[in-house]
Amino acid sequence: MHDLACPEISFDSCLKCNACVVSCPVSNVTLDFGGPKHLGPELKRLIENQEFIDDSRIEFCTLCGNCDMACPENVNVSTLTAFAKASHSELGGSKFRDLILSNAELVGKVASTFAPLANMAMKMKPVRKVMEGVMGIPAERIFPEYRFNNFNRVYNKTTANTHRKVAYFVGCYATYNAPEVAKSFVNVMEYNGIEVAKPKQKCCGVPMFSNGRMKKGLKNANDNVNNLLQYTRQGYDVVLTCTSCTMALKKEYVSFLQSEEANELAEHVYDADEYLRMLYEEGELNTHFGQMNVKAGYYAPCHMKSQGIGTPALDVLGLIPGYEISDAAAGCCGQCGTFGFKKEKYEVSIAIGKQMVEAVEETGADYIVTECGMCKNSMHQLTDKEVKHPMQILSEAYEKAQNR
Amino acid sequence: MYDVVVVGQGLTGLLSAIWAKERGNHVALVSQGTGKILQSTGLIDGSPGMGEKENTMAAERAAVAASEKFKTLMNNLGYPYHGQLNKPAPIVTGSGYVKWTSLYPETITPVPEEGNVVIAGFQEIVDFKAVYVKENLQKERPKLNIEAVTVRLKKHSSRTMTQLDAARVLEQKEARLNVIGQMRNEMTKQNISHPRLIVFPAALGVNRWKSIVREFEESLDAAVTEAPGMPPNASAVRFYEALKKGAIRLGVRFYMDTQVLGCHVEENLVKSLKIKTTNRTTEISGLNYIIASGGILGGGVEVTSAGLKDRVLGLEVDEFGQYTNCPHNVFPVGASQGTKVTRYGITGGMFSILSSYEANSRLNRLAKEDKHA
Repeated sequence: MHDLACPEISFDSCLKCNACVVSCPVSNVTLDFGGPKHLGPELKRLIENQEFIDDSRIEFCTLCGNCDMACPENVNVSTLTAFAKASHSELGGSKFRDLILSNAELVGKVASTFAPLANMAMKMKPVRKVMEGVMGIPAERIFPEYRFNNFNRVYNKTTANTHRKVAYFVGCYATYNAPEVAKSFVNVMEYNGIEVAKPKQKCCGVPMFSNGRMKKGLKNANDNVNNLLQYTRQGYDVVLTCTSCTMALKKEYVSFLQSEEANELAEHVYDADEYLRMLYEEGELNTHFGQMNVKAGYYAPCHMKSQGIGTPALDVLGLIPGYEISDAAAGCCGQCGTFGFKKEKYEVSIAIGKQMVEAVEETGADYIVTECGMCKNSMHQLTDKEVKHPMQILSEAYEKAQNR
Repeated sequence: MYDVVVVGQGLTGLLSAIWAKERGNHVALVSQGTGKILQSTGLIDGSPGMGEKENTMAAERAAVAASEKFKTLMNNLGYPYHGQLNKPAPIVTGSGYVKWTSLYPETITPVPEEGNVVIAGFQEIVDFKAVYVKENLQKERPKLNIEAVTVRLKKHSSRTMTQLDAARVLEQKEARLNVIGQMRNEMTKQNISHPRLIVFPAALGVNRWKSIVREFEESLDAAVTEAPGMPPNASAVRFYEALKKGAIRLGVRFYMDTQVLGCHVEENLVKSLKIKTTNRTTEISGLNYIIASGGILGGGVEVTSAGLKDRVLGLEVDEFGQYTNCPHNVFPVGASQGTKVTRYGITGGMFSILSSYEANSRLNRLAKEDKHA
């Protein structure tokens, strides 16, 4: 028997209205998934105080959180499915592949150390064929590249001394795959007279939660909460450029840990665009942007939408003169973190992604803007559009104003 | 700071947000869930819950204008609605009942008085049974010659299949060819030729409904219609998704999975709303607020032993759920106007459209007055 206690009690409010199933990207492309209603509140209601039921169909849940956004009765469906996934992995064990994929931080450290080789190997067909056969990682799926000069090698500032102080939770993707995003963020903050500290941090845990490795994820969550509270208690704001890490800190840590500390931290956590929009509303934002004549399309990651913050990237980028940006109103990208790297999920992943491609192409944009590195990976695979992070654009707009 | 903050993502919330945005306002929409469109049929009744014979809406000029504005919007969003307020149309439902309605989506064709009609069901869909629909429809339309045909989608499902699942299956070409082939065989076997109408569950595709309807009509040589029944109906899902996509593309900002916990009032003006997204409490502020939280059914108003309670702004409401002292910049629409607005307190359909239209006109008038002042 597993020993994971699911703290979620909202399942009793479920009216079985199906709003979550209608909104579930996975249910919408495959009949093999039981769906969020059935594997979330219904399953929990069935096993509460009774014999536990392990349902392997839960493996198809990506923890995208669209069910939570859909539920009119405020049931925290994804918390229920997260614990169902965890119990399933506890009982059945994790595949070697899933242990690797869920350890994004370790993979990042190793792959960036051997970056040129690792990147080359991931593009070699024979290597990928072997990986598919041995590990179940589909040979067709593109992997993001790793950088030798990862952000940890180039940025080690641990304190800030300005009026507003930012503690930057970088996340694995910006650290190992996209240090240019992290650098742009620091740059943007600098233009606003804000120093950025990089606290000690571990992987946010999202890849672990979505692979059912709840205990490992909670350990990271606890460590991050403790490390970051040392900063917030000194007046720092915690700001992030990855929407999945942000969602973990704002929502999952509180729901999963159920601790005072997680709650306290969540009050100080901001998505980077949300933070800049707040500065703007307080009259503190440096709006000295250079002219940029661009027509861009915005792709909203699921984990951005689930934060309940509107669309701050559009609000902030809209301040740049000449910058035209509109929301593609696309659904899920299908990559869903580690989900799209699994052979048995690949077909579903691509089917979800196809609907995103249609929406993105309808925008007729020069390039696509999104915060999420995994959404970018899916777009990279399925479209020929260039993808940028909002911080890269803002940084460019500030520099343009400077060089004028 | 927004110009307009809309609370609720049902028909009134989405329409109010879209129309406010179309006038150039900066609009936010705050919602706890998807609203109630997904539980609906996607039909727009003239007088919800009362039958079209008691429809008093058609006489109102504002209602006619609102219905035209709605039809224009749906046309632009790629999911057109047909019908007229003063000419209710007979629609067959998923139980074979004939229901009169004002506006209906393009996937729906009114049911004729006489002639051959075929009811087509899918074996895998448990809440639409062709024989049952046939028997009921026969009672309503004795002059019709009705036959029932049941075909198989031939898809294994690990969950109970809904009409929406069938609709998604039919988006695949081979699934459609398979269904069309079986239909032809069955119709030949039962000696059915040239039916005037073939009735399917509300499952004729989701995104590609237009080409799917055409393909069915051409291959089966008959008009086809969807008969909406137990949710989720594809007719309602398309409706919701078209409105939502339209709102997002216009630039309405969505605050999803977000509860409104109350408001801050100063001099009879709401200054901000206290909002909670899962675990975090923040504030959102606007110049005006449209409350489209659906009254008792939508969860905006709660029935308690101490009377009705407003679950959104936390303000005092009377025995009918109406604000006793509505702040100047608050505009309740649809069921949020209280239980007195329609005879049985049932809203939705044309009432919701008119209500959203009127709130929008009032907002616009106020904005103009402000400009003059």
